Amino acid sequence: MRQQYAVRSMFLAAVLAMVAMGILAQMIRIQNSEQAKQLLKYGDLLAGEFRTFQPERGEIYDRNGHLLAGNRTVYEVGVSLEEMEDVDALAYVLGVYLQMTEAEVKDKLLHSPETWTYVVIKDYVDAATVNVLQEVLKRLEEEDDHRLDGLGFKPHFTRSYPEKTLASNILGFVARDGRGYFGVEEKYNDLLAGNPVKIWVPRDPNKAVDIPKIPNGTTLVLTLNRDLQAKVEKILDQSIIEYGAKNGTIIVMDPKTGEILAMASTPRMDLNNYTDYFKIFDDGSAYNRSIGMAYEAGSVVKILTMAAALDTGTVTPETTYIDTGSITVGGITIQNWNRQPWGQRNMIECLQHSLNVCLAWVATQMGSLNFYSYMDRFGLGHRTGVDLADEAMGRLKVPGDSDWYPVDLGTNAFGQGVTVTPLQMMMAASAIANEGQMVTPHVLYAMLRDGHQYNVPSQYAGSPIKAETARILNEMLAVSLQNESANALLPGYRLAGKTGTAQIPTPLGYDPNHTNVSFIGWGPVDDPRFMIYVWLQEPTTSIWSSETAAPVFSQVAEQTVIALNIPPDLVRLQYGSR
Amino acid sequence: MQASQIIHAYKQAPWRVQRQYVAASLLALVVLALVAALYLDVTSRTALAGREIQELRGQIVVLQRSNADLETELADLTSSAVMQQRALQLGYRPLKPGELEYIFVPGYVAPEPDILLAAVDAPLQPNPLPDVYSQSLLEWLDERLKSGGVR
Repeated sequence: MRQQYAVRSMFLAAVLAMVAMGILAQMIRIQNSEQAKQLLKYGDLLAGEFRTFQPERGEIYDRNGHLLAGNRTVYEVGVSLEEMEDVDALAYVLGVYLQMTEAEVKDKLLHSPETWTYVVIKDYVDAATVNVLQEVLKRLEEEDDHRLDGLGFKPHFTRSYPEKTLASNILGFVARDGRGYFGVEEKYNDLLAGNPVKIWVPRDPNKAVDIPKIPNGTTLVLTLNRDLQAKVEKILDQSIIEYGAKNGTIIVMDPKTGEILAMASTPRMDLNNYTDYFKIFDDGSAYNRSIGMAYEAGSVVKILTMAAALDTGTVTPETTYIDTGSITVGGITIQNWNRQPWGQRNMIECLQHSLNVCLAWVATQMGSLNFYSYMDRFGLGHRTGVDLADEAMGRLKVPGDSDWYPVDLGTNAFGQGVTVTPLQMMMAASAIANEGQMVTPHVLYAMLRDGHQYNVPSQYAGSPIKAETARILNEMLAVSLQNESANALLPGYRLAGKTGTAQIPTPLGYDPNHTNVSFIGWGPVDDPRFMIYVWLQEPTTSIWSSETAAPVFSQVAEQTVIALNIPPDLVRLQYGSR
Repeated sequence: MQASQIIHAYKQAPWRVQRQYVAASLLALVVLALVAALYLDVTSRTALAGREIQELRGQIVVLQRSNADLETELADLTSSAVMQQRALQLGYRPLKPGELEYIFVPGYVAPEPDILLAAVDAPLQPNPLPDVYSQSLLEWLDERLKSGGVR
């Protein structure tokens, strides 16, 4: 009996062992099959994903902490095709809320490539619209209605400009490709954008990886004063209407540091609708005329000619010249703006009456070598290096160039035949207002990154003239302004400046009926705190700078002294003496 | 029969040897069960913490977006054009230079532009995850034993 049980037990054990072996063999076979490899691969795919973490683009502030460029959330609205239940319902709802036709939505849903599992219906949808759609979804869910299943929203940032058109010429804009165009947005694109980080993120919570903190893009603080910028833009817009000008530019800069406090230019655009760019601008150079458009500025260049002549000792303020109404340089006759002789005049009067003949004579006395050497040192024909994108260089023809003629020495002396940008003129003139030291204009005041503020120091761009020369010319320009252009004066403040009225070159010669009017000035003369440049293009009410650009300068100076808290000279000097 | 023989026979009794084997096996089983329970506890806590981290990260992103949106909204409401309009509605008007009065304050220095605290990022943390989320069971046990035992 015992033996019988033993045989049965052995048999059962052998059967069970064989079953176990069979199971084991099957397990090994399955583990090593092709399907298993595919399943493992598929599993790996679902185990996590490579995610790109885009840092938030750095913000842009004015010098007083007003936000000029920030970020706001918008949504990508899409549909997961695998979860989609009712195409008609989705097409209807999305058509209504996303301002699309049902046919458009259906086309996207039904005619996407076969491999796609997700279709983007519309991107950059504002938060308000998405909120409404989310409410609709929630209501349907409560009613166990699955017609909008598959609908999803992916939030992301877009650039936002709270001040809309204000300072648009300086800021530039960010397009949907995430890149900055023009101005600060382009110049500092890499800093503002930050560095995206791509890392593998597992879905298994046991494998929570240490996702590094993605630092935001660098935040920039500009030298601009928002309130002054707003006032300057308003003055510019009113002046263009008042004087019937085509376009214009006004810049306010600190001549001691090169900080640009305001820079207005026309036309401007609402940066939140940057696609309007193509409707508003014909070419990029007009985006910011202050830096992008070089032109013949006319008599404002005379201050540089006089600076060079004083510095070389060619003339002194008391040097006299008998103006006969014309002078021949390089075989070509040069005349005064009114084609009249002005008789014996000293150098202050030459500037005061803006005598072309006198300044052409000064240049010939100095010689072309000296003259062009000084113009080069003043930065004419070179970029200023301002930290804004798309700066133009201007053109200074020099002896040896194929298109330079001896008469150019005479005409260049009073600003004809030489092209400059308004900012180039300001940089050059900063040497006169700043004891001979020329400053590099800039708009970046500070950078904020990782909890630290890095202030940007001012940069000097050389000393084209001696400090003594600068002081003498400063005084000459203050006297000549007092006598020349009452429209430019500001009661209570002693200012220095110069008008510029320039005919416009055309392929057929200079246009006698249209001019570019400019004015450059600064103050207070004894301690310059601001420098202002005005350029109005082709004013129609008057072709003269003294009647158009000069009063605009006065208005801007009035607003500037308020914005910068500069007391009238009498008050300031009285306090200064204590 | 001597007493020592009785004791020896008692020690050699088959049931007693079997009981020793059973006891040893049971002890091993208990230890294994303890280790398994401990491991399960730690891994489940790690999983929960991992999940919590994922959720917190999501919240951080949402809060960052919310902050940026609110900041932009505030800037919209205090933009130059809006403030000017509000000032005019309240009866204010732009002043003229002659209307300003300047007072001499000895020793007064005009303040520099404010540092924009709102825009400053939090300082970077070299390792924001505590060790408890990344160490192995053995490391954890070792640390506990060194610090005075498992609680």
